Amino acid sequence: MNGLETLPAWAAIIVIGMLVLGGAIVLIGALGLMRLPTFYQRIHGPAITVTLGAGAILIASMVYFTAAQSRLVVHELLITLFIMMTAPVVSMLIMRAAVYRDLRGHKGGFVGEGDVYRQAPDTPEDAAAEK
Amino acid sequence: MLLPVLLILPFACSVIAACMPADARNREVWLAGLVSFGSLIGVASLFPRISAGEVIRYEAAWMPAYGLDFVLRVDGLAWLFMVLVLGIGLLVVLYAHYYMSPEDPVPRFFSFLLAFMGAMLGVVMSGNLIQLAVFWELTSVTSFLLIGYWHHRADARRGARMAFTVTASGGLCLFAGVVILGRIVGSYDLDVVLAAGDQVRVHALYFPALLLIVLGALTKSAQFPFHFWLPHAMAAPTPVSAYLHSATMVKAGVFLLMRLWPVLSGTEEWTWLVAGAGVCTLMIGSFAAIFQHDIKGLLAYSTISHLGLITVLLGIGTPLAMVAAIFHTINHATFKASLFMAAGIIDHETGSRDMRILRGLGRHMPITATLAIVASGAMAGVPLLNGFLSKEMFFAETMLVGGDTNWWMSVAALAMGVFSVTYSLRFINVFFGRPQVELPREPHEPPRWMRFPVELLVLLCLIVGVLPALSIDQILYNAVYAVQGAQMPAYDLAVWHGFNVPLAMSLAALVGGALFYRLLRRRFNPDQHDHVPLIHRFSGAQAYENVMSGLSIGADFLIRLFGTTRIQPQLLCMIVAMVAMIAVLGLPSSRHLADPFANLDPLFGLLLAIGCICAVAAAWQAKYHRLAALALLGGTGIVVSVVFLWLSAPDLALTQLMVETVTTVLLLLGLRWLPPRITPKELAIEVPRSVWLRRSRDFVLAVVGGTLLAGTTYAILLRPATDTISDFFLLRALSEGGGTNAVNVLLVDFRGFDTMGEVTVLAAVALTVYALLRRFRPAPESLTQPEQQTNPVDPAITQTPGKQAWSGYLMVAGVYLRLLLPFMLMFAAYLFLRGHNLPGGGFVAGLVFAVAIILQYMLAGAIWVEGHLNLRPFRWLGLGLITACATGLGAWIFGYPFLTSHTLHLDLPVLGELHVPSAFFFDLGVFSVVVGSTMLILIALAHQSIRSHRQPGKNAEPGTQEAA
Repeated sequence: MNGLETLPAWAAIIVIGMLVLGGAIVLIGALGLMRLPTFYQRIHGPAITVTLGAGAILIASMVYFTAAQSRLVVHELLITLFIMMTAPVVSMLIMRAAVYRDLRGHKGGFVGEGDVYRQAPDTPEDAAAEK
Repeated sequence: MLLPVLLILPFACSVIAACMPADARNREVWLAGLVSFGSLIGVASLFPRISAGEVIRYEAAWMPAYGLDFVLRVDGLAWLFMVLVLGIGLLVVLYAHYYMSPEDPVPRFFSFLLAFMGAMLGVVMSGNLIQLAVFWELTSVTSFLLIGYWHHRADARRGARMAFTVTASGGLCLFAGVVILGRIVGSYDLDVVLAAGDQVRVHALYFPALLLIVLGALTKSAQFPFHFWLPHAMAAPTPVSAYLHSATMVKAGVFLLMRLWPVLSGTEEWTWLVAGAGVCTLMIGSFAAIFQHDIKGLLAYSTISHLGLITVLLGIGTPLAMVAAIFHTINHATFKASLFMAAGIIDHETGSRDMRILRGLGRHMPITATLAIVASGAMAGVPLLNGFLSKEMFFAETMLVGGDTNWWMSVAALAMGVFSVTYSLRFINVFFGRPQVELPREPHEPPRWMRFPVELLVLLCLIVGVLPALSIDQILYNAVYAVQGAQMPAYDLAVWHGFNVPLAMSLAALVGGALFYRLLRRRFNPDQHDHVPLIHRFSGAQAYENVMSGLSIGADFLIRLFGTTRIQPQLLCMIVAMVAMIAVLGLPSSRHLADPFANLDPLFGLLLAIGCICAVAAAWQAKYHRLAALALLGGTGIVVSVVFLWLSAPDLALTQLMVETVTTVLLLLGLRWLPPRITPKELAIEVPRSVWLRRSRDFVLAVVGGTLLAGTTYAILLRPATDTISDFFLLRALSEGGGTNAVNVLLVDFRGFDTMGEVTVLAAVALTVYALLRRFRPAPESLTQPEQQTNPVDPAITQTPGKQAWSGYLMVAGVYLRLLLPFMLMFAAYLFLRGHNLPGGGFVAGLVFAVAIILQYMLAGAIWVEGHLNLRPFRWLGLGLITACATGLGAWIFGYPFLTSHTLHLDLPVLGELHVPSAFFFDLGVFSVVVGSTMLILIALAHQSIRSHRQPGKNAEPGTQEAA
């Protein structure tokens, strides 16, 4: 299972470094998603996770398999491509929904029966971020 | 070979007649007439052999394992009934040609009539008791269809239902009876049974068998106390009445009694049951007939009484009584068929059957009047007509019953004779006198050929009445010989036997009947009374209705007691039962279970814990926050697919992931149509105590049930793996299935037939969802457009979804996702192509394909997507099923069983060597079905939004309509 022993030292160091880096970024991103006060701040957490974090882990994977199989393995570039094509769309859609919610909450638009966003924005920072 | 042809011909022609166009009146008649005529010739050709005492048999293996053969057997008795069925059938067909109105759908009529004829022939030709019961029920069904032919009339429906209920229940009794009889004898073959009379009569089960069989016969022959259905069956068209109630349907009962006479008769039980029912029937029928106003009603009750007469003769059980019974069966068939037809002519030409207003018809239709008067003479027992002969034999037999001291039977017979003369007089009264009331139609003679059947039958009555020895003797002898065998009684068919008591009784009946009629006219005019005096309170029909309504009330009561329309109590009962069962069966052995957490990988445990938390949280949020619950459910699904991956099942993991994705999206689309469920905090509604109690109970039950079920699953998983066939699949996947991915080979090859069934089910489910959603009408509160789509603060609401994705706020996402479409389709193709050897396959490829399409729908809306892509999910479904099926069938061409797979090794110029297993095409079918059904459900949901917004609402501007 563990193929690290057979890996050349330079490759092992790169792999380990990248894995630690990526893991740390993902952890920080997750913490940010949980702890940051406003929505617009929180949305940065996943963004850094899918860019830097995933990137570091994918580089680690590329280096590991290239060294272990003694040939160039770049499948991970495809993964990167697909993440780049999908993740921004998801973030954009979520953010657009948040903007719309705040628009409605502040400009006193029609609030009817069954309004799912009945309560006011979480904190005053929300309003600040909007301006 | 003649016999099976005779039997099959009517049924085959019934199918042909049913397929003919509605206006092919003449062709229908020719078909039915030729069938009857040809069969009649065929039957007639058997006459020399029958007269020689031969029993013609035809046998074919039916269920040899149960000792059952399909036996057709024609002896003298069966021959006689076949002639009656076919001969009178022929005349009825001819008559019906003129009787049925142009508006009636004739194909149906002749189709039913032919089927009924076939069923009757089956009854009389059966050489096997079980077979007889089957055809017996078939006559019940076809007569039900015939009686209810004018199904737009309530009385026809009621009469048909009554006749069917009574005769079919009797048929069930008969079936039970013949099974017992067959058990006693040890064979169902009629020849064996008929030879075993002595053995049967002393058997302990003799009485139950007798009772059940007699019940069958009495219900069919409309004997007391089941006689009530027959008058109600008069709602049928008159040709049907003429056929069913003279020669066929009701005669089946007496035929059965005659057929089994050698086996069952000769005991006290037989006499009491059969003769007792017969005497009651005969008295009630003949008495009630006098007081009918409807001609057909009179004839119906007269039929009942004549059948009672035959039944009495059979019950008396002496050989001579048997002769009289068969003789009267023939005579009754001829004169009653002609009378019914005459009644039909009167109805047809005057528009009424009411004897209170019909008068002086003899003036307008002299020939019909003469014929009807002669036929009623036969019915009344006037000398020189056939009815006289058999009735005289009947009188002679009744004198023997009680010996020298007990004369009650003779008295009853005489009374019946008097009554029958009376109702005959009442019937022919319509031809005399002067018309008093304006009739619906101006009466006149019927068409020449409509009268022909009546003429022929009346001629037969006369011939038999005047020259019995020359005309009927041999036929009667054959029939009696078939029943009685060696102990043929000596009898003499002659008009004149000298002055004796029966003759005196006949004359007394004639004179007494005439006097009684005059007396009635003077003192108690039947025209002015609606009810039959004395016995109208004992209405069998009323009793029948009471029983029927009692049954439905009882059923309603049971449904109320045990049924519920609410799903909650049903679920409660089910879960409680499950908990109880596991607790009783499972808990005692639970001590042997190992500690589940002993060898758990902590990471794996964490994964499972996340899944569990998601599931529990989903259940917790399901009531008020459906969206959150759905997201949590998706989390559980992802955990499950990771678990599959962990346990080295990449195929499953992949498929599970796609299934979760598609399911979540489709459910999200469906959420839109659920009414919002919000507890307004401002109202501060307090939950009552009882609700708290109920919820606590349900909660406890849910927790206990879930825990027990999980425990049971765990216990089952812990059991040592027995010899499974998984090794077999792993070993043979490459060598026999031509693929290294055992899972896929298993699906498309080893268990291809299962998969075939599964994709069929999938297609059916998709179609069902589509059909349900087509008629779906959302709750009123979710009918309007959601507020998010109408709030003017959002600038996007003025754009259609297509425009939003093209140039609006979704432009970036639109560009990205459109770019993604070809990638995803290529990925689906990739998964599909490699499926046979590496994780992938048609199912998951289909799901990926569907996800690609769903993404486009979510981005730009249904209208835009369907404007640019022609999806046609029905074609995908159909083509998929056809491909899968055709692949399977292809194996047949090469002489292999269905779905045998074969790997083709192609050597293509550019691509090199290529392996194309036939399972590949099967997988293509699976792929296509999955794509089709997913898209069908998606489209059904998407179109729901478009459609319901078209309904008149607040936001009917064309710009915002499509913002779904």
